[in-house]
Amino acid sequence: MKLELGKIFIEDVQFGEKTHVDGRILIIDHTELLEAIGGDEHLWKIRVDLAHPGESVRITPVKDVIEPRVKVKGHGAIFPGMLSKVDTVGNGRTHAMKNVAVVTAGKVVGFQEGIIDMSGPGADYTPFSKTHNVVITAEPKPGIKPHEHEAALRTLGLKAAAFLGQAVKNVEPDEIKTYETLAPREAALLHPELPRVGYVYMLQTQGLLHDTYVYGVDAKKLVPTVMYPTEIMDGAIVSGNCVSACDKNPTYIHMNNPVIEDLYEEHGKTINFLGVIITNENVTLADKERSSNWTAKICEFMGLDGAIVTQEGFGNPDTDLIMNCRKIEEKGIKTVIVTDEYAGRDGASQSLADADPKANAVITNGNANETIVLPYMNRLIGTTAFIDSCAGGFDGSLREDGTIKVELQAITGATNETGFGYLSAAAY
Amino acid sequence: MVKEIERFGIPVVHVCTVVPISMTVGANRIVPAVAIPHPFGNPSLDAKEEKMLRRRLVEKAMKALQTDIETQTVIE
Repeated sequence: MKLELGKIFIEDVQFGEKTHVDGRILIIDHTELLEAIGGDEHLWKIRVDLAHPGESVRITPVKDVIEPRVKVKGHGAIFPGMLSKVDTVGNGRTHAMKNVAVVTAGKVVGFQEGIIDMSGPGADYTPFSKTHNVVITAEPKPGIKPHEHEAALRTLGLKAAAFLGQAVKNVEPDEIKTYETLAPREAALLHPELPRVGYVYMLQTQGLLHDTYVYGVDAKKLVPTVMYPTEIMDGAIVSGNCVSACDKNPTYIHMNNPVIEDLYEEHGKTINFLGVIITNENVTLADKERSSNWTAKICEFMGLDGAIVTQEGFGNPDTDLIMNCRKIEEKGIKTVIVTDEYAGRDGASQSLADADPKANAVITNGNANETIVLPYMNRLIGTTAFIDSCAGGFDGSLREDGTIKVELQAITGATNETGFGYLSAAAY
Repeated sequence: MVKEIERFGIPVVHVCTVVPISMTVGANRIVPAVAIPHPFGNPSLDAKEEKMLRRRLVEKAMKALQTDIETQTVIE
């Protein structure tokens, strides 16, 4: 499976006539965009705002972030099983609109959405302060249930990203990168001397709006399976998560997963990257046991020498992470786990809810309990009404002068467990 | 909490879904529960079946309390 990813680096986003890219400026026709994304019977009052890097703007509550992309050649279309048919994607050519993100915002469940500040100290913690954001806020109709609201808002975001992606379909990319993954047998023959490495990609699937979709399937209903990494670049994995903002994977991060990116970078040089094993984080012990057993079994079946495991979320998924680690290690496969920490505001508490001596190679992406003070912002997109009750907020988080004291947990992408954010750890 | 109560010599049974975490934190008597969002129930059952399920769980926990153990034990 081979994908050419053409990147078009956009320098500014403006409203104007007819949606298109002029030079490296994205012009969005407001009416066209609303026509492309509207029509859901559960929503009314859809609002579109632009937020640019460096502006005094706060966006909250943030639900999802999505990169505009479009299929140019090859099977299927972007977001298979969600917006388009379930053709297997990941081959041919795709264009990605870089430096632009669709951000969906608005209260779904109140306590589980995040904050994006476009400037100030908060901007240093979220990767989405560096993108030109097309923020879509939609008010639900009265009486709508949270899961209907979530589905409607999720679809709205995907539609907007697919619609904007069309604008770069016929634009010559600034950069084209080719990613190729062969079947394991051919791949092993190609680089017999290099260690075979796989990526175990844990998806949050606890239900109650902690959900991820793979080709339109609710991933809690999957057993672990193998994917070509390029399928994921074409939007085969989509976030439906309303959960702590710092370490859930927005759809944007699925499409731009840095572990996949780095493994491809080393492929053929220091390692032989064989592919991605997706698994879930379910809510019964039997599910956790089954999924980790199957994950380890597939690692063995693929003949891996090493595996990198990334977690999504925290708490009971720590057990899925540790089970995956222990069981893969027991197959004689070296395992590195990538996580974040909930070590208390002083960093002195136990970082993970579960542990095992076999978890002897661990990468952390920061302590989500650390607090930060976010200054007043001149413009607010959304509402700060839920700051005190959001995950990472507490009584008194929102102060009278408009400043906010919260844990990093409340900031979208702050401690992302694929390493997409800016935090890391150093020994001293 | 399990450990602090036991420190006073009162036996405790920890009914929980994620048994490995209970093992890690050091509970001694562990009874596996139903699921993380609903440890003591199952909303997919009808009311009568669910009551039976809950009763069985409580009875198992009571029995676990009276069981002599030497080491951390999961009572299935």
